[in-house]
Amino acid sequence: MDVTVTCKDVMSHICDSLGEELQSPKCIAIRSHMDSCDCCKNYFDSVEKTIGFYRDYKIVMPEEAHDRLMKYLDMCDCDPVGQE
Amino acid sequence: MNETELIEAAKAGDRNALGRLIKQYEQTVYNFAFKICRDREKAENTMQETFLSMVKSLHQFDGNSKLSTWLYRIVSNHCLMQARYSNKYQFVDVETEDSLFDDRYLSDSSKIPWKEFENNELRAILDKAISKLAPDYRVVFLLRDVEQLSTEETAEATNLSVAAVKSRLHRARAFLRNELEKEMSK
Ligand SMILES: [Zn+2]
Repeated sequence: MDVTVTCKDVMSHICDSLGEELQSPKCIAIRSHMDSCDCCKNYFDSVEKTIGFYRDYKIVMPEEAHDRLMKYLDMCDCDPVGQE
Repeated sequence: MNETELIEAAKAGDRNALGRLIKQYEQTVYNFAFKICRDREKAENTMQETFLSMVKSLHQFDGNSKLSTWLYRIVSNHCLMQARYSNKYQFVDVETEDSLFDDRYLSDSSKIPWKEFENNELRAILDKAISKLAPDYRVVFLLRDVEQLSTEETAEATNLSVAAVKSRLHRARAFLRNELEKEMSK
């Protein structure tokens, strides 16, 4: 199947390892374009890196928030914490 | 008891099972709520409301989707509703922004200077960029790319079509990438 893609197509339709169906003609064409286009490769890498930053950004819930939640739900009598 | 058994027990009125389900998902729900609203107090409030909804309507949960997807949907709805009420924020309209996929982002000179940032500095940049994104785009990006739900699960949790999820995802990714480039080049 002959699908021509431009750099702009690659930008607006990033798929592949970012989770879209690998087999669609568009994705296959995008991959082969990227193999030979450094600009698109850079762009793709920067999108992946951007996503990686957001994935690594983790927040830990404070312990007291659990207690407040059980109180809010009126479930302190069946709180699994401290029952073990 | 595995999760399915816990859900069945909780539906039948076993409050200890319900408590264990809540414990199991509270960190996930809190985290996701924080990522949408970028505020600890709002995140905790959203978490409380989410589990209150869960307690009230668990009997409607049919098991056709994962419990986590079901909870993500409640969080998303809650946060989106809150965002609509507090319409004081000006979000960037990525729907009409054509320059999102501008050629200039492809030039060699446009590499992001991925220097080492202090943790706080990096978080501030990430917070600022995602806060500019309209909440419904933010939710799609977070569910699909950060929480790594499938496109179908994301569609289910947001009541959007699969096609709408994909187009929002592409725009959200491009927007965030461009914002990081701008901020990190400063
Ligand atoms: Zn290219």
